Amino acid sequence: MSLITKKKHITLAAALGVSMLAAGMQPAEAKTEDGKWLIYLSLSYSGNSWQSEAANIVKALAQTPPYDETVELVEVISGTDPQSQISDYESMIANGADGIVSFPISSNALNRTVRHGCDQGVLFFMYDATVTEQCAYNVSYITSGFGENTAQALVNELQGEGKIFLSRGVPGNSVDERHTNGAMHIFDQYPGIEVVAEYYSNWDDRTTQQETSKALAAHPDVDGIWAQAGEYGAIQALLQADENRLVPITGENSNGFRLALANEEYQAKGLSGVSAGSPPAQSGFAFKLMMEMLEGQRESLPEDKRNIQYPLPWVSAGDVQLCEGDTFENGCNTFPEDKVPSSFVTEVFNPQLLPELSLASALEGSPTPGATIQPLPEDVIENAPNEPGINCRSCDTPENLYELTTVEATVSP
Amino acid sequence: MNQSYSTADKQDTRQAQRFSSTSIAVLTIYSLVVLMIFGSRLVSPSLGGLSQLMTVLYLSSFLVICAFGQGLVIMVRGLDLSVASMITLGGVLSTTFMQGTNEGLYFIIPGILLISALVGGISGFGITRLSIPPFIMTMAMGLIVYSVCLGFTEGTPRGFPAPILNAFMQSKVFGVALPILLMLILIVIFTTLQSYSAFGRKLNAVGNNPDAANIAGITVKRMTISAYAISAACSALAGVLLAAYANGATLRMGDDYLLPSIAAVVVGGSSILGGRGNFLGTVGGALLLTTLSSMLSALGVGQGWKTVLEGVVILVALLMLREQVFASLQSMFKRSS
Repeated sequence: MSLITKKKHITLAAALGVSMLAAGMQPAEAKTEDGKWLIYLSLSYSGNSWQSEAANIVKALAQTPPYDETVELVEVISGTDPQSQISDYESMIANGADGIVSFPISSNALNRTVRHGCDQGVLFFMYDATVTEQCAYNVSYITSGFGENTAQALVNELQGEGKIFLSRGVPGNSVDERHTNGAMHIFDQYPGIEVVAEYYSNWDDRTTQQETSKALAAHPDVDGIWAQAGEYGAIQALLQADENRLVPITGENSNGFRLALANEEYQAKGLSGVSAGSPPAQSGFAFKLMMEMLEGQRESLPEDKRNIQYPLPWVSAGDVQLCEGDTFENGCNTFPEDKVPSSFVTEVFNPQLLPELSLASALEGSPTPGATIQPLPEDVIENAPNEPGINCRSCDTPENLYELTTVEATVSP
Repeated sequence: MNQSYSTADKQDTRQAQRFSSTSIAVLTIYSLVVLMIFGSRLVSPSLGGLSQLMTVLYLSSFLVICAFGQGLVIMVRGLDLSVASMITLGGVLSTTFMQGTNEGLYFIIPGILLISALVGGISGFGITRLSIPPFIMTMAMGLIVYSVCLGFTEGTPRGFPAPILNAFMQSKVFGVALPILLMLILIVIFTTLQSYSAFGRKLNAVGNNPDAANIAGITVKRMTISAYAISAACSALAGVLLAAYANGATLRMGDDYLLPSIAAVVVGGSSILGGRGNFLGTVGGALLLTTLSSMLSALGVGQGWKTVLEGVVILVALLMLREQVFASLQSMFKRSS
C-alpha cells in the first residue's frame, strides 16, 4: 500500500511538473482519503445494451491493474433530463472529483456546469455524445460521417435508383439530426433515390421492427433501408412481410445485423449492406485518455483541440468474421449467435486501444483475468472537425463537412 | 308480487338501454376503423388492402392483450401503471428461462404468467388491504419490477426466446399470421370472461358500487386483487410474445404500451371511472389506435404532428362516444321512425 502511495506521489509530482509546464493550469490531486483518484462515471440512463456496455467497459478498466489500486470509480445515472445531470455534475465537483467520464444528455445545457468544473480542476471526458463547452474533451465518432458514408453505400448498392425508408433515432436529438443531414446530403444528389417513408425508431430493435412493418404496409415495394441503431428489427420486419424478399440495409453495429449480413441464405434473398455507427468502445478510450492525463503520462491539450475523433467502424458483408474467443482477435468482429443477444453492440473492442477487454467486461463490467492496463499508442489522438452545435459554439462549419471518408461513390448522380 | 315483476321489467329495459348504448359505441368504433382503413387508400395506393389489415391486426395483438387486463382494472375503479414493467418482466423472464431452446416451454410460460400474476396480486393487496391509491401502488410496483429487471440483467437481457415461439410469430395459415389467430381466440375467451361469466358480472358489480356489491355477498377485495393479477399476467403474456416477435428482450420494450392500453380501454367506450366496460369496444379502440399510427407513419408526417393528430383522434373518438350523443341519436331514430 505504501509502495503504491509512494509510486503515486512520484507520478503525481511528474504530473504536476508536466501539466504545469504544458498548460499552465493547476493539476488535479487525488482526493479520496486512501489516495485514489476519484473518478465519476456519469450516465444518461441505463437499460439499453449500448449504454450498459459503454458503462461496463469503464467499470472493467477501472478494476484492471494498476487502476484497481489507484482509481475509485463512482457510477451515477441521471436519466434523460439534463437538469438532473447538471445537479449530479455539481455534486461530483463539490465532492472533489478528479475526473468525470460521461455520456452527456445535452450538447448545450451542461456547458455552464462543465465550465465551473473545469475551473475547479476537474477533467471532463465526454464519450459518444458531445458538449459544446471547449474545456471538456469530446471523444466521439459523431464527426466521422456515419450518415453520409452509409447513405453512399446504400446508393451504391441500389445503383443510384430506388425507393428507400429512413429509420431514424430519437426525435430532436442532435446526433440523429447530424446523421440524417449527412445522409440526405447524399440522397438529394441522386434524383433516382426516393425517400418514401421516414420514421423514428428510437434506436431500438423492436420499435424499428414495428415502424418498418407499418411503412411496409404502405410501400411493399421498397428497395432499400437506411437505418440508425435498431437495424436488426428492419430485417425482421421485411422477413415477416415476405419471407423470401430482403433488400439492402445499412445500419449500426448490432451482432444480429452483422450475423445476418454474413448469412448466405439472407444474401440470396437480397440482403446486402454495411454495419457502421456508434461504438461503445469510445467510453473506454475516453477513460484511458483521461487517466493518462491525470497520471501525467500524456500532456493535456489546448482548449480548441479537445475534440477527438473515434474512427467509424465499417464492416460490410464480406468483412464479417466470427470470433472464436471472447474478444476481437485475428481481425474478427462478430460473435456467434449463442454468445450474445442479437441487440448486443459488437463494437466494444478495439485491439489497439483497448486490448484489456473481453466479452465479460462488456456484459458484466468485470476485468479480464491477468490483463493489465496497456498504454495508448503515442499518436492516438485524431482531431475531430468542428461542427457548430455538436462540438463547438462559435465556430464555422467546414466546407467539406459531408465529404465521404470511408466509401467512394460507384454511381454518379 | 306485481311490484316485483314491475321492478324486474324496469331493470330489463334499463339493461336493454345500456346494452344498446354499448353496442352503438362498439359499432361506432369499428366503423371508424373500417373507414380509416379504406380512407388510407388516399394516403397510399398500397394501403387500404388486405395486407394493411393484416399488419394492423398483427401489431394490435400485443396491445389488445394488455388492454384486456387494463380494462378489468379500470372496471373496478383502478388504474394499472405497471403495464410497461410487467411486459418487460415477461420478456426478460422468457428469454432468461428459455435460453433459445424449446425445452420445458410447457411449464415456463405458465410459470411466467403465475409469477407475474403474483406480482399483480401484491399490487391488488396493497390497494385493497393497505388502502394505497391504485396509481401510486401500481406505479411503485412498476418501478420495483423494472429495477429488479435492470439489476438482474445488468442492462443487457440475455438469452433468446424458444425457436418454436419465433416460428409461431412468423408462421401463417391461409395467409393469416398465427398471432392474429391467437388474438381472435383470446378475444372470444376474454369477451366471455368479461361479459358473460359470473366472474365478469361480479367485477362489474364491484365497479358499479363496491358497497352494494359487498352487501350482495361479493368478496370485493378478492375480486379487485384478481383484476390486478389478471392484468399483470396479460401484460407478461404480451411481453413473452413481444420478445418472440423481436427475437429478444430489451428493458424498455413495454414503454410504448402503457398509455395506449389505457387509451384503448377508454376509446373503446369504457368509463375511466369504472363500472362500465366492454372488451369488444376495447379491441376496437386498440385497432383504431394502431390503424391511425400506421396510417400516419405511411403519410410521412413529422413526429410532432403525428402525436398531435393521435391526440386529436382520441379526443374526437371520445366525444363521439359520449352518452349524450347516443341519446340524441336514439331520439332522432325514434322521431324518424
